[in-house]
Parts: sequence; C-alpha cells; structure tokens
Amino acid sequence: MPLTDCAPLVMASVLGLDEKYGIKLALSREHSWSGMRDRLIHGSLDVAHVLYGLLYGVEMGIGSRAVPMAVLMNLSRNGQAITLSRALAEQGVVDGPSLAAHMRRSRRRFTFAHTFPTGNHAMFLYYWLAAAGLDPLRDIQAVTVPPGQMASSLAAGHIDGFCAGEPWSARAVLDGAGITAATSQDVWPDHPGKALGATAAFADANADACRALVAALLEAGRWIDASAAHRDAAAEILASPAYVNADRDIIAARLHGRYDDGLGRQWLDPDPLRFHADGEANFPWLSDGMWFMTQHRRWGLLREDPDYLAVATRVNRVGLYREAAALAGVAAPSGLLRTSVLIDGKVWDGRDPAAYISSFAGARQRPVFAHGAPQ
Amino acid sequence: MKSPPSVQRTLRIVVVNTASGAGEQAVAAQAQRNTALRIGLLESGYDIVASLPADIFLPERIAQIQPDMIIIDSESDARDVLEHIVIATRDEPRPIVLFTEDQDRTSMDAAIDAGVSAYIVAGLQAERVKPVLDVALARFRRERRLLDELSDTRRQLADRKLVERAKGLLMAKNGLSEDQAYQKLRSMAMNRKLKLAELAQRVLDVEDLF
Repeated sequence: MPLTDCAPLVMASVLGLDEKYGIKLALSREHSWSGMRDRLIHGSLDVAHVLYGLLYGVEMGIGSRAVPMAVLMNLSRNGQAITLSRALAEQGVVDGPSLAAHMRRSRRRFTFAHTFPTGNHAMFLYYWLAAAGLDPLRDIQAVTVPPGQMASSLAAGHIDGFCAGEPWSARAVLDGAGITAATSQDVWPDHPGKALGATAAFADANADACRALVAALLEAGRWIDASAAHRDAAAEILASPAYVNADRDIIAARLHGRYDDGLGRQWLDPDPLRFHADGEANFPWLSDGMWFMTQHRRWGLLREDPDYLAVATRVNRVGLYREAAALAGVAAPSGLLRTSVLIDGKVWDGRDPAAYISSFAGARQRPVFAHGAPQ
Repeated sequence: MKSPPSVQRTLRIVVVNTASGAGEQAVAAQAQRNTALRIGLLESGYDIVASLPADIFLPERIAQIQPDMIIIDSESDARDVLEHIVIATRDEPRPIVLFTEDQDRTSMDAAIDAGVSAYIVAGLQAERVKPVLDVALARFRRERRLLDELSDTRRQLADRKLVERAKGLLMAKNGLSEDQAYQKLRSMAMNRKLKLAELAQRVLDVEDLF
C-alpha cells in the first residue's frame, strides 16, 4: 500500500535482502484495502503489508466471508495521526477534551474519517474519541475515505477530522487544511501497526518462504532504524511514483520523528514510526492481536465474544516468527503477552479480554449498531 | 428481506466513478473503462440511475437512491468507501459488481467465490454484459434467501433458549410446575403485548438486577 510504513518491503527489495534469504519479492502497488483483501483471499497476492485490524476482521468474517488468516510479523509501530480541521482549530479545538466540549455546545453533525471499517485507524480514532468522553457510534458520523483524499476532504469542509497514516497526516498540516491533534503513539504508545499478513492456507503451504520473508523484512527494518542517513535514503526511494508517490521531504520529516502540529509546536518525537526497535516492534504478540478483537467487540463489529486467546493463537504465527528471528539474528521475547497503557490510563495485558471490554463504560453489548458482521 | 422486485422492473444501477489523485494516466485509463462500461450497460438495456463520484457523499447518495446493484472498478481506491457501506448496511445488502481489465478466469471465479457478485471484464461485448449481470443478481438473491433462512432459524433457537431459562427461573422462585410457569409467561406476555421471547428476556433482566 502506498504509505510511508510500507518501507520494509520496498527496502528489502531494493537492498536485495530477499535474495539473501533465497526468495524474490515481486511488489504490487495496491489501490484499496478491499482490493488487497480480495486479492489475498483469491491468491493473486501471496503476502501483504496490511492493517492489523483488517486481518482480524477477515478472520472473523466482518464484512466479507470469514477466511482463516495469518499474521507473520508486525511491520511497524507508531507514526499515524489524528488530524482536526483548521476551522475547528481556529475555534480552539485542538485536542480530545476541547473537541468534546465544542461538540456538546454545537448542534451540527460532526464527520470523522478513517481508512477501513475494521482497520487500525478506525479503532484508534474511536478509542481517542471515547477517551475524551465521546461516543463514536452516537456522537459522530464515521466515514471511510482513501488516505490520499483526506487532506482535500478536510480542506473542503466535508470532514472535521481524520485518522490515517503518513505521509497523509503531515500533508494535511503542510497544506494548511488541518492540525495534528494527537499522534497514534499518544493513543497507544508503541502500538502495533501494519502486519505482514497472508491467508492461513498460504502460510501453512509455504512455511519456508514465509520464514525467509520474515527474516528479510526483519533485516530491512533493522537497516531503516539504524541511522538517519538510512531513513533519508528510504524516504528518497519511497517518494517515487512506483511506491508512495509523494514529496520526499514530507515523507522524510515524520519518518525522522520531526513533527509540526500546524499550531506552531514543533518537536522531535521520542517514539516515532519504527520498523524494528531491536525486534521489539516486530514480535507478533498475541495481546496485540486480541486488542483489535476487543475493539471490534466494543463497537459492535463483532456480535459475540470469540475465544480471544484461541483466535490470536491460531492467527499470529509466533513459532514461525521465532525461527525467522533466529535466522536474522534478532532476539525474540519468550512470552506471548505484553502490557500496554493506553491514553485513558487503562492497562491492556491480554489476560482478561472480557473484563477489559466491560471496563469501557457504556459502549459494550450494544445490540443494534449500523456496523457489524453479516452472520 | 423485502420482497424481490418484479422481473419486469428496470434494475436501478449505480456506477461509481473513480476520484482523481491516483496519477493522471491511471485516472485517464479508468475514465476510458468507465465510458466503455456505461455504453455496454446502455446497449444491454440497463437503466443507469446515477453515475456517482467516489467522494464523501457516496454513502448518503446510495442510501437515497437505493440501487439494485452497484458497479465499481476493481482497481478504484473508492472500494474501501463502498466496503464501509457494505458493513454499515449489512441488513440490506445489495450486489456489488466489479469491472476489471484482468482477464484471468480463475481469479474472477475465486473473487466471486469470496463474495463479490460478479466481474465484468473490460472489453466484454455489450451483448455479454446482460447475462453476466442477470446471473450475478440471481446468485445474490439466492444467497440472501439462504442467509435469511439461516438467521431466522438461529433467532428461533435463541428465543427458545430464553423462554426455557425464564421458565426455569419462575419454577425455581415461585415453586411452579413447568406447565404453570409457561402459562404464567404466556399470560404476562399477552397482557403486555410482548412476544414471548421479549417477555422472557425482561424476566431474566430483572433477575440480573438482584
């Protein structure tokens, strides 16, 4: 997908890391997540750089036929953003609490965009709104907008804000259409991002190729994270029309963690988009996979509680990842669950999904919701 | 599901155009395919009620027009917008047809198997468009009917479980026989003009409070 965080696939190919592990990457530039999903399912794509949440949506049959999927590794963490319109910012709306206060005073409908109904950006946007006391199912209209159209939709006043990846959030700030109200690492520090996804059938039938691919992508991520010069080189290559097709400097800035929120605040983010972080960013934690299911359940996309741990155990290929990490000389943690603290102060450690969902006041067990799985 | 439209009625077809932004060459190619498709549809006697831009208003316009079928380029970035509509209107699904330049028969069959209603290949002769769409629609309706039947059966089962649990509760709390408990539930439901399962749910909800 033409996004800054497709960098590991592009760099693995450009640096020839694929051939080092005896495989050859043939990259395909996709136009939509739906199209990518269909092509994965019918086999014209083998593996994809894909929204973590989307893979779990397909596994659970939300919006399409349920197809067993596999998460081979996590490709990136952090580096997405929530952008609010310049018009809102001029009225003092610059973060979650000021947005909530403004919406309580205003009578009009507010529209927020994300990139895919079951995807990471939708779940981070809803989480951020809910942390500010807003109900994303009742208080806003949610729409899906292709990321390349976010900035222009915001400038035209069609949407009030959006959550998307880079370079599209930086682009909205640079165009003067919006301001960065929160980074995704504000919502969930070191959250999982795009996963390396395949159908379970492909992963089962091609374990050797998958292991080689994970090893090559671990090396590519390690290479990008190693130095600022490497990130500059990656930005240069990603800017090409064959990949992201965007201005090199826009890609480079946030790839380096250099943020400008459009309100005069500039900072070097200590937790920007990362592709490796000594392997910490790549491990397919079962708790990460389960988190997306808890949020799908929270917002009614899942109508019933699945066996969260059992689903994550079969989807996330931890064993294959460990073997690939050993090939690439990357340390892998021994556990399966990690502990995260999100923006609302809640702790997610993967141990009790049902209690976690119950801890979110109001939104659980909503029987009727316009989103949901055809079952 | 509402009763299917009569066979004679003209199908209301919406064609989603692709927004710009994906590179001029790609946009031009898609515009050309769009035009070819529309000509094919018109020559086949289909009524295109709207040719909609793939923008932020697409969901609202589709809700207003209530088309019988939506056609979109398989390579369009607006497919995710449509995906949102598919999930948001899952109780009133409608067939979505993709058109493509991909001539590979197996990938088309697989896509249809995965839930897309039909594929139209660009360059397909006008006289072939109609049979493809007719088959797609028939297939879609048959699947809807099967899914409706399945969900009816599931609901009946769930209702029966609720009534059984409420009955058990009344038997235990009030020392009633099974038949007495059932009669009590029935008369309570009739007095309140509720379905038996709804009443059972209320009985169980009240119990949960204590």
